[in-house]
Amino acid sequence: MASESPEMNRLHPFSAVTTTLNRGIVGLSVPFFLIGVLSSVTDAVDPVWSIYLAPIGLVAGVAYGLTYYYRFEYALTQDTFDLSSGVFSRRSREIPFRRIQNVDVRQGLVQQLLGVAVVTIETAGGGDTEAQLNFVSEDEANRLQREIRRLTAAANGERSATEAETASSDEDEDEEATSNETADLETAATPERHSDPGVSEDERHEQPVDHGEPTRLFELSSRELGLYSFTSFSFAAVGGVLFLLLFANDAIFGLLISMAEPLGGPANLDSASPLEYGVFGIISLVNGLALTYLFSVVYTFLGYYGFQVGRAGEDLVYERGLLQRYSGSIPLEKVQSLTVSDNPLQRQIGYAGLWIETAGYGPDSGGGSQSAIPLARKRRVYGFAERLSGLERPSFRRPTTVARRRYLGRYSIIAGVVVAGAFGLSLVTAVENWWLAAVVFLAVPPAAHLRWVNLGYYVGEDNLVIRSGFWKRRTTVVPYYRLQTVSTRRSIFQRRLGLASLVVDTASSRTFFWATPTIYDLEYEVAREINETTRQRLQSALRERARSSDSEDGDAGVSVAFT
Amino acid sequence: MEVLHPRIRLLWIAQAALAAVVVGVVLAAVDAWIVSFPTVVPIGVVAIGAILGIVYAVVLYKQWRFELQDDALYLERGVITFVETAVPFVRVQHVDTQFGPIERALGLSSVVVYTAGSRNADVRVPGLTPDRARKLQNTLRELAVDSEADDGV
Repeated sequence: MASESPEMNRLHPFSAVTTTLNRGIVGLSVPFFLIGVLSSVTDAVDPVWSIYLAPIGLVAGVAYGLTYYYRFEYALTQDTFDLSSGVFSRRSREIPFRRIQNVDVRQGLVQQLLGVAVVTIETAGGGDTEAQLNFVSEDEANRLQREIRRLTAAANGERSATEAETASSDEDEDEEATSNETADLETAATPERHSDPGVSEDERHEQPVDHGEPTRLFELSSRELGLYSFTSFSFAAVGGVLFLLLFANDAIFGLLISMAEPLGGPANLDSASPLEYGVFGIISLVNGLALTYLFSVVYTFLGYYGFQVGRAGEDLVYERGLLQRYSGSIPLEKVQSLTVSDNPLQRQIGYAGLWIETAGYGPDSGGGSQSAIPLARKRRVYGFAERLSGLERPSFRRPTTVARRRYLGRYSIIAGVVVAGAFGLSLVTAVENWWLAAVVFLAVPPAAHLRWVNLGYYVGEDNLVIRSGFWKRRTTVVPYYRLQTVSTRRSIFQRRLGLASLVVDTASSRTFFWATPTIYDLEYEVAREINETTRQRLQSALRERARSSDSEDGDAGVSVAFT
Repeated sequence: MEVLHPRIRLLWIAQAALAAVVVGVVLAAVDAWIVSFPTVVPIGVVAIGAILGIVYAVVLYKQWRFELQDDALYLERGVITFVETAVPFVRVQHVDTQFGPIERALGLSSVVVYTAGSRNADVRVPGLTPDRARKLQNTLRELAVDSEADDGV
């Protein structure tokens, strides 16, 4: 390895300082801890020893930290990223460029001031980051991102050239072909773009340039940032409020009490009537919700401040964040599916966001899903999604009304359980009028209707589009080419009503928060038909792709590269 | 459409019986140490569990079908939720044959097909004779290699 790559790189000297300090402190505290434990167990160990042993621990820790720094090396070879690290047990790792999914750069506030950054490299495999460079200089981080992009493109070009058995075409021609493809794509999208009034000036005049400089595709305006912060909800805010609650002290309780008192709350918590407690509880809950919302607004604002996304060669590159700065790249070739998401508020004002799913661990949500447009006008978002996936304008179809009847039944059962719970509560506590809980039945018909009305699907030329959800409505564009398995599922209830759900699995690793794209409650016949169609289109997409890579037809090559 | 080997029912029944016995032991422990209840309760629970297990195994066996179609491995199965899955050969990452201790005693074997998907990432065809399993594995491997494509991961 050393002979292949003459320049092995070290991390930024600042990381030597931090590792050394870190290890030094650990080394210093270990003797105190060990001696403390041992001396309490046996008299043979004198607590005073720690005073002599601590300096030795410090020196050992510092030495370890320094050695770690000097033995941590990385290098870029022709087709791999190499990393070797470790003091006692050595590890060397080679990551082929072809397999890299994301290269991300992260900068906290202090790191921005010092001009250093953390670089992480992700592949599809494993749930962990494949390589993490804790502190390289900003310039080095940018160089790495650029170089990995360039070398990946070169490796892919070489590969497709050999696959097509065009031994005559050399590297330079290949390179040129790629940038022409880029130009084709950008101009192909132009007519549609001119008709779109929502597109800003600089976007219209963008020109495809060389691989080093990204072409800007989208920038979050301050208006959009504001709207996004206020209309979206981040679950991290709940964590923040819970964290505050952990440290809830008298001052905070005092504040809550003083806020509830004018509205009929208790003067203090020790002696209060049940009504006063109730008022205090409700007011505090409202306060808590308001605080959570405020946290969410601030968190989103800080996270998406200065968001922009651009295109560099075959990669999408993005940047965002105020205090903590993120930047990263997604190879377009690795994109598995696109999702347009909106909530009721955003739908009301005609806005939506676009997310891109890749396989493997993503830095943004931990699930391989990356925001391409946090929030923009709906037309613009759909335009962007259409250009990215080659999707024609979808005309959605809805499952049968039998599905709505099913939800009516389902939600009625839930409402019934709520009323039964209230009745149970009235048996063991002093709560009366349990039948008032029957009010929840009023919510059943609108809930069933809203669930049904937000379902939709569209069987497109190259993509399957699936929509569902009311609170967070997701419209997922799955290219047939990305299908892994296709399943038709029928539960007992569905079989009774002649319904089926179609589950379309892709390699995007959304597991916890986002379910696998599913068209719910279709008529069984329709589900079977779509199942057949998707399988056929997968095969024809594969054939088309094989053909286009054989003939090296530039135009077809791009539209496929985008799927 | 191919069906599974009839002996697979014995495996499923054995698994259900095992689960029922575990529940019985737990109930006996609860009876002995925490709250005591009539002896009929644990026996009844175990009996009902075992009967349900047998019914489940028989129905599941009737439902299970698989087939090698021209582009995909196609499976149908399920008692509560009936699932039809198509695994295109291009998407097959690798194929295993596996057997557990009970399967081995019954002379049965399973084929497990792995894809890069997030859900249904491993699809199992149980209840095959070892010969059939090996043949299926080889066929799937050849078909997967023939239809090799860039998986994008």
